[in-house]
Amino acid sequence: MGFLKNVSAIAKGMSITFGEMFKPTIVENYPDGPGPLRGAVFQERFRGMHVLQRDENGLEKCVACFLCAAACPSNCIYIEAAENTEENRISGAERYAKVYNIDYNRCIFCGYCVEACPTDAITHGHGFELATLNATNLVYRKEQLLAGVPAHVGQNVVFNITEAAKQKMITK
Amino acid sequence: MNFSDQLEARFADMLGHYPTKRSVLVPFLLYTQDELGYLTDEAIEEIAQRLDLTALEVRNVISYYSMLRTRPAGKYNVQVCTNICCLLRGGEEILEHARKKLGVAVNKGISEDGVFSVEEVECIGACSWAPAMQVNYDFHENLTEAKVDEILESYRKKAQQ
Amino acid sequence: MADAPKLVNITVNGKKTTAPAGTLLIEACKQIGIEVPSFCYYPGLSLQGACRMCLVEIEKMPKLQTACTTPVAEGMVVNTESEKVVQSRKAMLEIVLANHPLDCPVCDAGGECELQDMTYTYGAAESKFIDIKSHRDEQQWSPVVFFDRPRCILCYRCVRVCGEGMDVWALGVQNRGQGSVIAPNKQDHLECEECGMCIDICPVGALTSGSYRYKTRPWEMNHVGTVCTHCGDGCLTTVGVRRSDTGMEIVRCDNRDKSGINGDFLCVKGRYAFDFAANQERITQPLIKRDGKFVPATWTQAIELVADKFKQVVQKDGPQAIGVIGSNRTTNEENYLLQKFARLVLGTNNIDHHRTADFPAFAKAISENKARTASMRDVFEAPAVLLIGNDPTEQHPLLAWQIRNNVRLHRSKFYIVNSQAIKLRRQATQFVQIPTGAEARFVDFLSGNDAAAGTLTQAGASNENLSQLRDALKGEQNLVVIFGSELRGADISALVKFAAPQNAKFICLGDYANSRGAADMGLFPDLLPGYATFAGAARYQQEWGADVPALVGMDLKQMFGAARDGKLKALYVVGSNPVSRYALDPFVLQAPFVVVQDMFMTETAIAADVILPAAFAYEKSGTFTSTCGDLQMLRKAGDVVSVKSDFEIVVRIAEKMGYDVRKLVPFGKGLRADMGQSRGAQSGEADRHSVWLQARGLEPKVSPFDPLATLDEIQRLIPGYDVSQINLVSGNDEHTQLVQIQNASIPSHPELVVPSNDTLFTSGTLGRYSTVLNSVMERRATGKEVAAD
Repeated sequence: MGFLKNVSAIAKGMSITFGEMFKPTIVENYPDGPGPLRGAVFQERFRGMHVLQRDENGLEKCVACFLCAAACPSNCIYIEAAENTEENRISGAERYAKVYNIDYNRCIFCGYCVEACPTDAITHGHGFELATLNATNLVYRKEQLLAGVPAHVGQNVVFNITEAAKQKMITK
Repeated sequence: MNFSDQLEARFADMLGHYPTKRSVLVPFLLYTQDELGYLTDEAIEEIAQRLDLTALEVRNVISYYSMLRTRPAGKYNVQVCTNICCLLRGGEEILEHARKKLGVAVNKGISEDGVFSVEEVECIGACSWAPAMQVNYDFHENLTEAKVDEILESYRKKAQQ
Repeated sequence: MADAPKLVNITVNGKKTTAPAGTLLIEACKQIGIEVPSFCYYPGLSLQGACRMCLVEIEKMPKLQTACTTPVAEGMVVNTESEKVVQSRKAMLEIVLANHPLDCPVCDAGGECELQDMTYTYGAAESKFIDIKSHRDEQQWSPVVFFDRPRCILCYRCVRVCGEGMDVWALGVQNRGQGSVIAPNKQDHLECEECGMCIDICPVGALTSGSYRYKTRPWEMNHVGTVCTHCGDGCLTTVGVRRSDTGMEIVRCDNRDKSGINGDFLCVKGRYAFDFAANQERITQPLIKRDGKFVPATWTQAIELVADKFKQVVQKDGPQAIGVIGSNRTTNEENYLLQKFARLVLGTNNIDHHRTADFPAFAKAISENKARTASMRDVFEAPAVLLIGNDPTEQHPLLAWQIRNNVRLHRSKFYIVNSQAIKLRRQATQFVQIPTGAEARFVDFLSGNDAAAGTLTQAGASNENLSQLRDALKGEQNLVVIFGSELRGADISALVKFAAPQNAKFICLGDYANSRGAADMGLFPDLLPGYATFAGAARYQQEWGADVPALVGMDLKQMFGAARDGKLKALYVVGSNPVSRYALDPFVLQAPFVVVQDMFMTETAIAADVILPAAFAYEKSGTFTSTCGDLQMLRKAGDVVSVKSDFEIVVRIAEKMGYDVRKLVPFGKGLRADMGQSRGAQSGEADRHSVWLQARGLEPKVSPFDPLATLDEIQRLIPGYDVSQINLVSGNDEHTQLVQIQNASIPSHPELVVPSNDTLFTSGTLGRYSTVLNSVMERRATGKEVAAD
């Protein structure tokens, strides 16, 4: 009986091996693949470089509440807050982040900042090609992290933004 | 600021009725409002000073009572009750009718000629004869729209005299 | 003494305990570690019972009771955690949150909000209400007070602290029921003392500070407890700092740490007037005058130049040709070091400071009569207080607060003798108005000269009033006597003699943060530290290992006279502006070599040859002595690169002059390592470590710039200062008794006492450069809205 048991075990194992042999390959052909991502394929949940989102009016969602910085286990987020004014409205609430830096030397892509964010302002994008020869380049500023201004902004602004501020936002 | 001799006499008399000066506040405010139509900033300052209070304290009290006002009302202030008994017997409709008739869109608004103002009020204690309304200090009960017209007309005539 | 109140037995959550009869249930629970939540209850303020958060179940009572208004009774059985209580708390929070906007991410109180804490602790994070929350726009009530109505939870703490605590009554409640709203006294704005107590006491973010608004969040700052740099009351203030391009930026001051002598209190200056530190006009690099113009220089250049010049003058013209003027705002250690520098390094007694009260005469009077000084804490507890002169509401806000609260909470008696109808008269048991400048005659009258009464009655007080007051005072035991700079010289002696037999304690009011310290540390041409005359110099010579110059030096006015006559060749002014304070002629400073160590281009600094940019109180460590004699330790909070503490500058100059620094600062004895006590805000763990080391006598004093080494020496030399250093390092206040080293007759110069006459909104040079104070004053003058930031 022992013999039969061994044979069946081997057969069971080899069946998986042979089965896999005939399936298509799942290795991505990065960086020699097609398209702008050069063959890289992401799961939706992939945690890449952060994106600071804007709301439907093109205003920044970030209200500089510092919760991401507080949640960050590697202490890589640096924020300076400032107050919105009628003439210079950056975010939807009273306050906005004048400076928002993420130090990718330190970031461990844990996603705690995204979880902490009460306004869904910070999200993980799929950006991943962060390698650089100079460590100082890894400190990303707000301008590098911000999402683009939605195309409809300018025609469909609900918030009370002055013309000058609107122009500034569009041309940025 | 000077009040009428009558009010001054009343004030002097009232001071003797209460253990503390502050107690005179509410009646004094009411009488002043009757005389001036509403409580002006000047009157508030004056009353505060006379009773050793701050203007803020006087304003706190005024804002507490709905019958005290810091904005002018019409010569005849029509106060229509819409509390439960009046509501059941058509108080809302009476209010609506009075508003429409006098051309007053908002609560506490004043008619164009300044004779009337219309105000929605809570129970005025005339539940047995609902629906009821009060014009200045006079009660009018068991109202119908026709009766309201009649009452308002009589006041308008009074005002023209 | 009244009998101690009877103890009653109560049971809370099954725990048996006792509490004095009359104790509020909420307090009795706190005593045994059971927390009953509440918003409206605040110790020291009247009871409100508005928030209903403290509802507890008491046996034999049909409904839940408010623990904050229920006094304990014998046999009371209380349950603070029953199902019913838990549910009601949750329901209360839900109602409070019904109209509370959930803008915590932008709210200034986020992170230190009592409503947040309660919601976390007691639930109700999810609301059943689906109605739209009512919204009102934020209002600016004054340059420093903003009101966000929807955030308000109507606990009325602000109304009570403004009225009862501050006696300002600028806030009220208008409308009723759900529509109730906190209202300022001028309908759309406030006219008040701008103390900001309402902001501090607000459990949520309804009242926010104009200068701190939207700047940062509480957990992003370091919080450093230090002593306020403005008046002489010595309030403990917590400085919130964060990193900035130029070091550590001060973002706010508050009294987060309520353990100081000021408890809850801070005035407008303590709370907002720190912004001069970041003023554009602040001098941040050494300046040397070349061809009539100030040119930036390096520290090395500037210090070498100063040291060379000083050395030259001493060698060529003798030590008498050099003068030193000290400061009322520098620490005790710096003042002590400065007089040591003048006497040992320069070899002259030409040292003085801007005197704002006659402390030498006070010290003499206290010693002669074996009387005692009162601490700021005593003022709150004394059964009776006598105030002669001064206007504490304007010049000593904490003192005024202590008096008001003593009268309100302890029903103490309070007597005022003043030439003006000062605001504190509203608390007075008896207020006697005397003619301007008649304070001395009043003391004469107290001492038994009835003839003096005749000259005192012109301002409205009658003879009977005066006699009545004198009789009342004679009957007061354990009285605290407070007097301003109106009394000087022999008058102080007479006053102390009058009240000392009744076991009275005394306070002499000086004007700036460390006026008392400057006097105690011997910034006098004729007195050594501890108010010793030169006859008692032996003690100092022994400690210093050097001779004290025997010749009495020139006082401040004499120095300017000597400069005019060409006899003064060099002048070293540290943190002082004598030109403006004494209305002296700045042109006499053209001839001598003048070094000014300051933060700003003052009237004196303009005349200088070298300006050395100095750090101020929040940027260094050391100790301050309040005007009452309460000694407290400063901790370094803010930091501006390129400025140095006065301590360091003096030591560096001495070193460059070739003086052995070890003789100046007794550092480097015993076990040594800098564990960070000189680094303050940045040190974290090390500071606690230093407390431990202190307790075991292992305190490290390794650097010549360590003020604690000098504090050791001060404690050895000046008798009143031998207080617990561990307590100081831990951030507590220690009262120093005035002990004159030898009871000699002290030369007194009453004419040199020039009170600063600061108001609630001014503070000497520093106040002039505070944007907030200026905007508050502008607001009061013009009645227009001015933004503080």
